[in-house]
Amino acid sequence: MTLTGFIAKNALRNKRRLSLSVTSVAVSLFLLVVLQVALRELTNPINDEGSSLRIIVRNKVSLAQPLPARQLQVLERIPGIAAITPFTFYGGLYKGDEKFTSFAQFAVDPARTLPLITDAKVPREQLEAWLADRTSCIVGKMTADRYGLKIGDRMQFTSQLYPADLEFKIVGIYEGTADDRNVFFHHKYLDESLGNPGTVGTWWVRAASIEEAPLVTARINQAFANSSAEVRAESERAFVLGFVSMWGNIQTLIGGISVVVVFALLLVTVSTMSMAIRERFRELAILKAIGFRRRELFAFILAESFGLAMLGGVLGVGGAYLLCNSLDIQKLSNGLFLLFEVTPRMVGFGFSVAALLGVLAAAAPMMTVARTSVVEGLKTLD
Amino acid sequence: MIGRFMAAEAEEPIVQIRELFKVYQQGEINVTALNGISLDITRGEFLTLMGPSGSGKSTLLHIIAGVDRPTSGSCHVQGIDVTALNESELADWRNHNVGFVFQTFNLIPVLTAYENVELPLLLTRLSSGERRRQVQTALELVGLADRQHHLPRQLSGGQEQRVAIARALVTDPSLIVADEPTGNLDSHSAQDVLTILQSLSRSAGKTVIMVTHDPKAAAYGSRSVHLEKGELSN
Repeated sequence: MTLTGFIAKNALRNKRRLSLSVTSVAVSLFLLVVLQVALRELTNPINDEGSSLRIIVRNKVSLAQPLPARQLQVLERIPGIAAITPFTFYGGLYKGDEKFTSFAQFAVDPARTLPLITDAKVPREQLEAWLADRTSCIVGKMTADRYGLKIGDRMQFTSQLYPADLEFKIVGIYEGTADDRNVFFHHKYLDESLGNPGTVGTWWVRAASIEEAPLVTARINQAFANSSAEVRAESERAFVLGFVSMWGNIQTLIGGISVVVVFALLLVTVSTMSMAIRERFRELAILKAIGFRRRELFAFILAESFGLAMLGGVLGVGGAYLLCNSLDIQKLSNGLFLLFEVTPRMVGFGFSVAALLGVLAAAAPMMTVARTSVVEGLKTLD
Repeated sequence: MIGRFMAAEAEEPIVQIRELFKVYQQGEINVTALNGISLDITRGEFLTLMGPSGSGKSTLLHIIAGVDRPTSGSCHVQGIDVTALNESELADWRNHNVGFVFQTFNLIPVLTAYENVELPLLLTRLSSGERRRQVQTALELVGLADRQHHLPRQLSGGQEQRVAIARALVTDPSLIVADEPTGNLDSHSAQDVLTILQSLSRSAGKTVIMVTHDPKAAAYGSRSVHLEKGELSN
């Protein structure tokens, strides 16, 4: 027998309690990791190279206020801008969806948009078809797959923002962007349907280089300062984070739930370890009597507590990893979540929490053992 | 010549207790458990400590075994003042010099008889082969070599106590302390246990100190000491 074997036998002596404790740790850590994944998905926009270059220009008063289309001439003269297109959120409900359509539709200038979505892979003939047909659109592959759409199909939308219901012919399917769900169509088509109001929702700008992006942002804001339609230009990331802030203080809410989960977990583990040690108080006194030192008894308790917590960690964090990576979360969440992946950082966080729990849960029993002399322990025997 | 030296060594006290006091504080009351005990125990002796409950016999046994400390006085075991050792030194000293046998056996329930006996050896630097030999020898000495893979719950009370004796013997200590080792046994098993303890004293030269209430058990010892209210009464 080895000391490790002795610790393992002690840990396994009450299998029902052990399995219940490990399960409670595992379920709590699973929940904790899934909450972290959800929080990341909701609050951390996808950050690729293209998004570092892209700038969104919106009305300074509100995103809901349109911008004059004539601003294009001013924008085109600002140095450092490589590409620019009107970019208007259509807010359509796809035919068949009852309350919510999980993918966005944007009205853009197709010729001007191509330099902005350089990461999108679309066959040349499909792009040409899109440029040629004012009522056509290109659809992200995720949406096409989800609805079983193919080239030549038609998509009908009822707008929840504009008094114009539109129908598009799919001429292209793109993929390779960070979010392959959106539909892009001709701004002219929307303008005509609305009676050419001469407005756009936002401008979508691509800076010539990452270094120039902040300068371009400042120049755009300056160009329209004190005009009848002042703008707010910001990086695509900042723009998306602005949307996130509309969720309310979800970060605090999920953070609060996570703290409660960890605290409940700590109570469960401390209680389990205290019970396990209390049951074995007689034996620990005997071990002390036959020569085991305090530090060796501490090591037994710590190893058992740590082992229990880490086993729960492997099951909980591992379970979350397997589940998040094996499920089609986009389909299950109706498009709310895109990636829902457990990152190495989250795995590290989960195991750190498990390790900390193991150490903290051992503290109370260790203090009890330290405080109790051999004789006090032996007095409990008879 | 050699025989004379051996005889002299046998006569030399292994335990020397001088003016030993132990006072417990119970709330605001001081309870004197040992009141100036002085006692010599010679090597190879089988000493029984007798007396009524609360007379201080277990306290005396605990101080000799290094699991309790006196309020004043000295207790030398094999020339070492055990009252002067710190906790870590005492633990090490106990592992090498003292074997414990308790009334309630106190075997670890999840370990087999073999593993229970091996437990004190895990603290030594012996190889697994050496440990195996010592455990086998100890189990053979108590007549339980054929029960080594049994868990405590699969053994009778007498067998459990014999395993406990094997655990006490396995590190080859010079001193074996037994606190009412027959208190939970039937007369037949008690006789077996007492015979083993007696033979350890007589044949193996171990010094055995046993606390008992039972005069029949005390009769197995080579000397009996009575305590009354913390003092030696004879």
